[in-house]
Amino acid sequence: MAQPDIDRVIIGCKNGDEVCFTQLVDIYGRRCFGYFYRLTGNRDLSEELLSELFVKLVEKIGSYRGGSFDGWIFTMASNIFHDHLRFKQRQTRLLDGHSKRIMSQSAGVASGYDGDADKMQRALGELDSDVRELVMMRFYSQMSFKEIAESRREPIGTILSKVHRGLKKLRELMG
Amino acid sequence: MNNSANENRIPRGVSHCGLRELLTGFMDEAAARQTAEDIQKGDEILGANLSPQPDELLLAEVKKNVVAALRRRRTVVFQRRILTAAVAAAIVVVSVLALIRYGNSPNSHQTRMVAAAIPSGVWEGADDADVTVLKAEVENIQSELSGVQSDNAGGNGSTAVDDLETELIEVNGDMWKG
Repeated sequence: MAQPDIDRVIIGCKNGDEVCFTQLVDIYGRRCFGYFYRLTGNRDLSEELLSELFVKLVEKIGSYRGGSFDGWIFTMASNIFHDHLRFKQRQTRLLDGHSKRIMSQSAGVASGYDGDADKMQRALGELDSDVRELVMMRFYSQMSFKEIAESRREPIGTILSKVHRGLKKLRELMG
Repeated sequence: MNNSANENRIPRGVSHCGLRELLTGFMDEAAARQTAEDIQKGDEILGANLSPQPDELLLAEVKKNVVAALRRRRTVVFQRRILTAAVAAAIVVVSVLALIRYGNSPNSHQTRMVAAAIPSGVWEGADDADVTVLKAEVENIQSELSGVQSDNAGGNGSTAVDDLETELIEVNGDMWKG
């Protein structure tokens, strides 16, 4: 069975079709989970964020006005991740500053997975948070450099430089 | 759908098509080649170390949440439409009641009647100076008339009164004609 036509699925979602929404979960659920997992290093949190993303999608699908749907959905995923970070930072401040917890959660050290996955998560933790997010967004969303630059409203040269720096360091750390 | 789901299990891999050409816009040919190679090898490492996958139960749970959110949203939209319709109906009813209550008030009726009783010439063409002159003439004739009426003993007094009355009527008519 061929992959459902994404345009048809999106139109169905805009019309409130439940089947189309479940198809959207099938198409993007795994990639978005991978993106969240690599940013948080926490399975439970990634599951929470994934659920939040798709519930938000129900509210926001009407605002999608064409263009790269991958870019649109991953930009929303990125916003949800940042909202979560802000919430955690506020919570941490209220709890009298345990900022290290945020760092470890954001950098993420996976537990319960094989050695390679652990190693990758640790290596990602060594990257700047901005660079890590950019590398993950590009990998999981499969957006082009141009699309990422437009989505983040940053010059394409800056995006190229950050991704190159991040991937080069990752290669050294994993080598 | 299962096959398509499996196709989406992992990222298909980012495209490196046109990467070197893109990079040569920012650096020389040798540096662009090296950078493109770094990016490609970094992507290969990411592809070889994929994140753990969500289990099917989680995806089923997400779908359930999405459907529930969709139904909630439909209910909210429906309620909002009902509320809008109710508010619109209330505005119409209040407007109609206000029209019935204040549209037939004695004051407004009286105002309309008064306005209609005044000849349009007075509103449209009356010049203050003309009105003053006519008013003065009328007053002058009225005083002459009362003088004649008080002096009834005169021989041709009745003819003089008739003449004055005719003059008064003419002047009065001129005034209202504007």
